[in-house]
Amino acid sequence: MATTIRRLIIGLGWLLLAMIISLPVIGVLIGIWPGRFASVDALIDNLPLFLNYNGLGPSILYSMLASLVAPLVGFYVAFSVYTQYRFRPSWQTMERRLAPFLSLPHLAVALGLVYLFSAGGLIELGLGRKSITTLILAITVKEVPFFLFVISAIDRQIPVKKWLLQGRALGYSESASWWLLVFPLVLKQSKLALFAAMAYTLSVLDVSLLVGPNIPSVFSVLVYQWQTGFSERDLSFAFWANLTLIIMLGVSIFCLYIHQWISIRLFRYLAVMASPLVMLSKLSRLALAWFPLFSALSLGIILLFLLRSVGFWSGETYSLTLWQEEWLFVQQPLFNSLYTGLASGLIGIICALIALELQRQYRYFFADYIWLAAILLPQLSVVYGWQLAHTWINGSYSLIWVLVSHIPFVFAYSYLVLKGPFQSLGDEFELVARSFGYSYWQGWWRIRFMLLRPAILSAFAIGFSVSIAQYIPTLMIGAGRFPSITTEAVAIASGRDLNLTSLYMLLQSGLPMLIFIVAILFASRIDGKSHAIS
Amino acid sequence: MSAASYQRKLSFLLIVLALFFCTIQHASAKLDESADKWQNTLSVARGQTVFFYAWGGSKPINDYLRWASRQILTEYGVRLKHVKVADISEAVSRLKAEDGKKSAIDLVWINGENFAFLKQHQLLLGNLWEYIPNTRLLATDVLPLDADFGVKMDGFEVPWGVGQFNFIVSKAMASATSVTAESLLNLAKTHPQQLSYPRPPEFHGSTFLKQLLVELSNQDERLFKPATNKSKAELLPKFWAYLDKLHPFLWQQGEAFPSSSSEQMLLFQQRQLLLTVSFNPNQLHRDIAANAIPADSSLMYFEQGSITNSHNLAIPKGAPSKEGAKIVINFLLSERAQKRKLEGEWGDPSVISELQNTDSSLPSQQELHSSWQQVIEDAWQQRYGA
Repeated sequence: MATTIRRLIIGLGWLLLAMIISLPVIGVLIGIWPGRFASVDALIDNLPLFLNYNGLGPSILYSMLASLVAPLVGFYVAFSVYTQYRFRPSWQTMERRLAPFLSLPHLAVALGLVYLFSAGGLIELGLGRKSITTLILAITVKEVPFFLFVISAIDRQIPVKKWLLQGRALGYSESASWWLLVFPLVLKQSKLALFAAMAYTLSVLDVSLLVGPNIPSVFSVLVYQWQTGFSERDLSFAFWANLTLIIMLGVSIFCLYIHQWISIRLFRYLAVMASPLVMLSKLSRLALAWFPLFSALSLGIILLFLLRSVGFWSGETYSLTLWQEEWLFVQQPLFNSLYTGLASGLIGIICALIALELQRQYRYFFADYIWLAAILLPQLSVVYGWQLAHTWINGSYSLIWVLVSHIPFVFAYSYLVLKGPFQSLGDEFELVARSFGYSYWQGWWRIRFMLLRPAILSAFAIGFSVSIAQYIPTLMIGAGRFPSITTEAVAIASGRDLNLTSLYMLLQSGLPMLIFIVAILFASRIDGKSHAIS
Repeated sequence: MSAASYQRKLSFLLIVLALFFCTIQHASAKLDESADKWQNTLSVARGQTVFFYAWGGSKPINDYLRWASRQILTEYGVRLKHVKVADISEAVSRLKAEDGKKSAIDLVWINGENFAFLKQHQLLLGNLWEYIPNTRLLATDVLPLDADFGVKMDGFEVPWGVGQFNFIVSKAMASATSVTAESLLNLAKTHPQQLSYPRPPEFHGSTFLKQLLVELSNQDERLFKPATNKSKAELLPKFWAYLDKLHPFLWQQGEAFPSSSSEQMLLFQQRQLLLTVSFNPNQLHRDIAANAIPADSSLMYFEQGSITNSHNLAIPKGAPSKEGAKIVINFLLSERAQKRKLEGEWGDPSVISELQNTDSSLPSQQELHSSWQQVIEDAWQQRYGA
């Protein structure tokens, strides 16, 4: 009987996961077809025209370049910063200061950079107004705290201190030990986060429109333009462009694997050299400048938006009128976002844990891109497919369906944060627990879950913020019955009222900021305890 | 004259009279009927909720709709919910997915290509002009309100407001109110790197190009008919030659363009550009009043007339609250609502006869046939897009 129930539960678990994984795939399979609005013949006839589209090649190259450079540079910078700060007392302060930056939308960061540093900005650094460099820079700057957050979640599960001591015993400098001993593992475990950042860069629209080049535009802008077009030609182009996008994703993933392979081999090779990584150590020291720079930047952006939202630049005096006027209308969207974020964040964590545990029991971990399908596939097509299916089954426009549309994304991010820490926890402790007479699940809960708590908190915070950031699913599946702070903020940001845009971006950042602060505070507390025990 | 002839005349007269009375009676019956129908609509609509998909990027517009919702709720018991979208194509995409079946959208704010597409695929409710009493107030005699970018409305949408393409310019550049292609080129030469236009196919950018094309081809009639290979070959070369001359003097030497009118406004506010674009002739005063732009900015438009078009309201075929949506349209066309739209913060020109004053509108230029838009956008991409 017990085994039957156990099998049933395991079966249900797999079924649940299968559903979450297949949702994006089903979405894209349905959504990619232009349906009755363009025939198959039109698709085929338009292929040569698509291939000859002026600027297609450079567009694709721009996007590929950005999708590889921004995440990798962001990751290396984050790791350098981490090596410099991890064992300094200021680390905890810094971790806390990550929160506001993590929760600012990418668009807000891009707008802030433009406002602060471009020609006509407050401090002229000659940052090109619209160029691939600015686009890459804006995304990189925003990804650094994300990677720091992910790295610190991984780090909590590895005995870094011990490794560094061993490194010293072997005669390496501390900085060299970081790169030679810690980096390869962190890189491997951050692979999924790199995938996610890469896929994001490849498909991001708002930031590309604002600071990206447009002669020619980056590829995501072209895709959007065609996908929202009407003619048979536009829709056919959209079909081919989406296929191209999927191929580009594949190539980018492949490149990231290659990078990992080369980089780990390189460090292994360097490890046997006489005094390795002198240059890198020097470069890493530059990362010390990151903390003050970064604090100034995030402070600058938030201050800019705060001042904007009280009309500092648009009148002699500033006033709270805008806040008073809008407050009445933003409460419902804020609450909607909060509920969705909390619920999908929680469900995302549970599903990610189920996925990891079932794979552990099955002793086989499926390829990562399967689990990250929701992040990797082109979102507009995926959600359009869902919208079609949702219409076919006559689904309601309620919280439940909005949740269903958020969960694949939230799940994927929770999974990517949790996978590394989960896998790096060996079975030893649980075996000991079982030898003391605890059941499998008791041991799992008391040991594995408890040790994973910091990572789980991080994953929850990321999942929550991912849910908050969803514009397309909330709008397309909620059909306007379920306005969130993001659907409002994105609509407002499409206009030209910067004061109002600033206000909404601050509000939109508010909820994730709270959750990040809570997560970071709790995680460091739990972390402290477990360190005290060990 | 014979008696027979009299008789014939008399009977003819009688027949005419009879016909006349019949028509009158018929007409009044029809009027009664439509009044009845409207009464019926009013009572069915009570309690309905109307989900209105409309661009949500402007505070004055959002505030105006908040005001309208309050009025409509108290007067008609209909709840108006503004579904804010960043781009109306999001609504069109939903209508595509629903394909005429039960819709989540009751009312949508559209024009141009969006309308043409929805009408062509029969996704909209027809006969709106017949059912909605206030459509009689529309200034069809002075405004081009029967077609939307060359596509006949045919009762599938109702005009709500008027757009007229214009520039807002900094005092540092010009004080003239009208501009020609030639004077614009001179301005670009004397103020290099400080002019630009939104990158086509953004619609402000495309309209800017259409203004130039109309002027450079002396308002050639063929521009208002479907583009043919011959007309393209004859009308376009001069236009491209002009752009070839203009682009090197534009912002970033024409190697990047603002992505939208919003971005161009941002650049204008940051004084990177001396000129920005708008479809609302009253925008200038509203922006000055809101301290968004310097007080000495001025309006500028093309001498041969501003391309003028309407932005409109339509009801999807599958809308669950069709009656409520009609009530909303009827209210939005009322003199009170149109007046507030014109005179309030939004300042959008009115579409009803009562409120046609010449002060707030610019000399108008007819829209080109919609086929030209595609032609220009494609060729622009080919020539300058990469």
